[in-house]
Amino acid sequence: MSSLDLFIKRRRKRFLIAFTLITSVLLIVFLAHLSLGYRFLNPLEVFVEGVAQVISRNLGVEGYRLLRALTAVVVGATLALSGCLMQVTTKNPLADPYILGVSSGALFMVVLSFMFAQPTAHPLAIALRTLTASSGGMLAYLLTMFIASKAGTTPTSVLLAGVAVGTFFYSASLLPQYVMFQDIHKLIAWSMGSFVSPSPEALVPLIVVSAAALIYIYLVRSPLNNLQISDDFVRQTGYNPMNLRRCLTFLASLLASVSVAWFGVIGFVGLAAPHISRRVLGTSGLVYVLPTSLVLGSLILTASDLIGKTLVPPVEIPVNVIASMIGAPTLALAIVELKRYGGGGS
Amino acid sequence: MEVRNLSVSYGGAQILKGINLRLGAGLTAVIGPNGAGKTTLLKAISGLVGFKGIVKLFDRELDSLDQAERVRLVTYIPPIVEALPDVTVGDLVLSDSMVDHGLLPKYVEILQLHTLLTRKLSLVSSGELSRALLARGLSRNSRVIALDEPLSHVDVRFQLILLKHLRTLSQEGRVILIASNQLTPLLSQVDYVVAVNGGEVAFFGSVADLLKTDTLSRIYGVRFEVVRVGDFTDLIPVEPS
Ligand SMILES: Nc1ncnc2c1ncn2[C@@H]1O[C@H](COP(=O)(O)OP(=O)(O)OP(=O)(O)O)[C@@H](O)[C@H]1O
Ligand SMILES: [Mg+2]
Repeated sequence: MSSLDLFIKRRRKRFLIAFTLITSVLLIVFLAHLSLGYRFLNPLEVFVEGVAQVISRNLGVEGYRLLRALTAVVVGATLALSGCLMQVTTKNPLADPYILGVSSGALFMVVLSFMFAQPTAHPLAIALRTLTASSGGMLAYLLTMFIASKAGTTPTSVLLAGVAVGTFFYSASLLPQYVMFQDIHKLIAWSMGSFVSPSPEALVPLIVVSAAALIYIYLVRSPLNNLQISDDFVRQTGYNPMNLRRCLTFLASLLASVSVAWFGVIGFVGLAAPHISRRVLGTSGLVYVLPTSLVLGSLILTASDLIGKTLVPPVEIPVNVIASMIGAPTLALAIVELKRYGGGGS
Repeated sequence: MEVRNLSVSYGGAQILKGINLRLGAGLTAVIGPNGAGKTTLLKAISGLVGFKGIVKLFDRELDSLDQAERVRLVTYIPPIVEALPDVTVGDLVLSDSMVDHGLLPKYVEILQLHTLLTRKLSLVSSGELSRALLARGLSRNSRVIALDEPLSHVDVRFQLILLKHLRTLSQEGRVILIASNQLTPLLSQVDYVVAVNGGEVAFFGSVADLLKTDTLSRIYGVRFEVVRVGDFTDLIPVEPS
């Protein structure tokens, strides 16, 4: 057997082990999420009863728990996918919707729209909210990349530009919250990133957008690995790298924005999931990194939310607080590694 | 391969100014000073940059080929890539969906990449990166291969291994272009030379004919002493003229 075959075989084996392991832990954490809380319940009963409640639109404690755990899984996967796409399109291991300011941009636009209309569950309102959020996310992304381009678009300049843009939009979104609204606590809890009020309406756009993104990714799978290596290689598969990058960037912003529209800003998952996946897998091949990132993103948020709701009951610590404590060290690690490789170009 | 009145402009600046060439199967060196347009010429032939004029590969116009045919017919091998730092050598050589999977292990062997497959591109040496890019590019098994600076970073042993191998490939009927600033050992191994200067062809012909002209000293502004050892030709740059 040639060394290349061996490499391919080891890579696949490592993926199968990591993916199975992470998925199993996710399953356990998911069940724990269903059974732990204000009172202990049998997770299987919660699941069965919860499904019935969600379908009949008559949420009891089981339906609520199921929905909340599902939300953590879906949002985690969505943000991981978003971060993964951003890292591929920018070739930047520090990219993530939160770091690039996309989440804050989306947050700002949604808060702004609340000044004109209260959120409702009407399909049109849901579509509008999705659109509003993504326009904010796209705006912030373009702004970040524009500022970074003035400094050579190095990983570090992108990071710093993202911090500037993100901080601006985050603060700007706090302003109307203080001025305009009565139930400010609820709004602030939402904007800080939390799953305390999950709803089936919110899951629909998330699942639709994620599914669309995954289908698109499947269709363009052949040049995708090349996008993180060289634009000339992308051209040699017959694709236009700039167009591909634009489409994927749009999808990445959309994914993060939709998640922000309902669950607020949740930072660093998009950074940590692909980063840890590549580390664990020892490869950057997207056939392996993408699925691993998705389950890892789900695991990070499901576990974070579980910790958040069980650590000091009855206090609900927002999921973002715990998730950021896992994600931020990953950023630190990524920065240190960039420095060591001398690949930062800063 | 035939190139007629090929021009490339970036922004307002015309980089290639009406290049005309006719190349048969064989090994062709593309030489010329920095910024002469070697890389641009290779990329134009490979369909990677927009151009004016006509490029014909095996009697078919590049523009008339459909995408899939074109990308299979011709391969451009870049001198370096700036990838995401986590990409490994193995990921790199496997990143092309068009590689011939029978050939790839052979090139991994020839270019001695077997111990490097799990190493990240951010950590490999520049010669190792060159070898990985060569393995990937050559495994596409194209009939036209344009190699950009393949000799600059690899050591002298790999230079010779590569050139010998390219010679074999050219004898199988491939058109191979090597853009390089390493006149040695390149010129002793190739069939033809295209000297590019300021976006124009300053010389096109055999190595022997090239050495009869003053092209080299004219385009580089350097005087060369020619040394022959058997069928091996070496050029020793003597002094800026
Ligand atoms: N995208 C671009 N925009 C503007 N000018 C460019 C661009 N790409 C290349 N050039 C210019 O075109 C000229 C030819 O570049 P090219 O890369 O073809 O040179 P080269 O012969 O390969 O040089 P070297 O020996 O340094 O590799 C150079 O002056 C370069 O600065
Ligand atoms: Mg060049």
